[in-house]
Amino acid sequence: MFKISQDFAPPFKLIAPFFIIGSIFYFLSSLYLFSFDAEVLSFSSAKILAFVHLFLLGCVMMIIFGAMAQLVPVVLEVGHFAVELFYAIWPLLLIGTILMVCGFLYSPALLPFGGTIVLISMMIFASEIFLTISKVKKLTVVMSSILISNTFLFFGVIFGLLMALSYAGTISINISALLSAHIGSVLGGYIVITIMGLSVVLIPMFTLSHSFSLKPLKIAITLMSTAVILLILSSFFTIDFLAYVAYILAIISMLTYLYLIYVIYKTRPRKENDIYAISLMYAYISMIVSLSMGALYFILHKEEILLASMWLFFFGFLAFLITGHMYKIIPFLVWFERFSPLVGKQKVPMLVDMVPPKSSQAQFVFCAVGVILVTVAILMKNNTFLDAGASFLFIGTLAFVRNIFYMINFK
Amino acid sequence: MMYTKEELFQAISTVIDPEVGFNLVEMGLIYDASSDDEGNVKVVMTLSTKACPLHQMILQWVKEAVEKLPNIKEVDIEVVWEPEWNITMADDNVKKALGA
Repeated sequence: MFKISQDFAPPFKLIAPFFIIGSIFYFLSSLYLFSFDAEVLSFSSAKILAFVHLFLLGCVMMIIFGAMAQLVPVVLEVGHFAVELFYAIWPLLLIGTILMVCGFLYSPALLPFGGTIVLISMMIFASEIFLTISKVKKLTVVMSSILISNTFLFFGVIFGLLMALSYAGTISINISALLSAHIGSVLGGYIVITIMGLSVVLIPMFTLSHSFSLKPLKIAITLMSTAVILLILSSFFTIDFLAYVAYILAIISMLTYLYLIYVIYKTRPRKENDIYAISLMYAYISMIVSLSMGALYFILHKEEILLASMWLFFFGFLAFLITGHMYKIIPFLVWFERFSPLVGKQKVPMLVDMVPPKSSQAQFVFCAVGVILVTVAILMKNNTFLDAGASFLFIGTLAFVRNIFYMINFK
Repeated sequence: MMYTKEELFQAISTVIDPEVGFNLVEMGLIYDASSDDEGNVKVVMTLSTKACPLHQMILQWVKEAVEKLPNIKEVDIEVVWEPEWNITMADDNVKKALGA
């Protein structure tokens, strides 16, 4: 009998803070949009840097770390090395994120402190994952993706700390040279490879898809890993050619991954378009548009196109992928803890009953419209569209926070 | 034989997958069930995915569902991955409801 060890699931009280804080930072990020002037948006502005760290650290990384606490035993088929460490990860990441955002906005002197705290938080996370992986006897492609992504996280955070120290004037290094190494390691190396690995476990699980080849996943991860390594090398040795090759490989990697998702989508037996399915559709369409804009940038070299591309990648792809999965993961965790002991003894709800239907749809519609309006605002440098988009996102993300609490408190 | 395959399947059909809302039998996840005269039951089943986080819990529910039958001595559940489950193994009402 082939037995999978699934009884290492961490208690929900350990994971819940990650999701609550992540959703609040999603809301704060949308609120932050009101402070931007669409006519003078630039990657080099401290306001953009603060916004990116507010969203990526406070929302994306926070929720990914929480989800990983739950998903690592499922994917690796072994228990955590020391799951209690997650009690330390979220407070450190929270404090570090706040200090970094304040550092970018008000006082660069705060950046090394924020950066160090974020570094400690992520080192604890990466070490815990490495030690958990060390218990695995044979690595599958999905397990390998977790190992690779956490290795990139390890280096990406060190690059980030060096940049923070330099930004604050503590040490003297070329920040712009390290920038692409930092972005490539964390965004491409950690976030994207983690998403690639986990989505081939989660999406088939929820859509009941079977019998698809994992070869495209192997290709996508190999290409993305190569792209990140080339980007790091181009950063250190200032070889622009390597960077261009890296961008092309990264785009091919993402397209290969998209092909796999398309195959899973086409072969899914479960065809209902619930909030999970439509959120994922929006996420992947955003990713296609984002990649197209990214490619267009290399032809036209207009910064607003690259800004719109990154915006769609963050708030279109990452945000909708995360919110969609929250409508599956949180009901499961709450159900597992609160209702599974009652199975056979009394009537228990189905997981779908634990998702607020109207509020989740409102969240989807308002966020979806908001993302499109902000994209137009960035491309046209139009503040009216920006304020309109921010208003839609304000309502949508507020609904998301409400939905998180609804699902967590479901009785 | 103490219980027929149909009687055992009937007992197991009380176990619902909370994600999809159908019972394990109509999902086609129960491959075989048999018992001997002494009340020892053997259930051969699969799951819709190896990464199912409810793995152990579902096995426990199947065990408890069978144990509700009178005079059951022991329930042995074997989880197999061959043949791999797919939607064609489910009942028509499941396929229709899922849109497969």
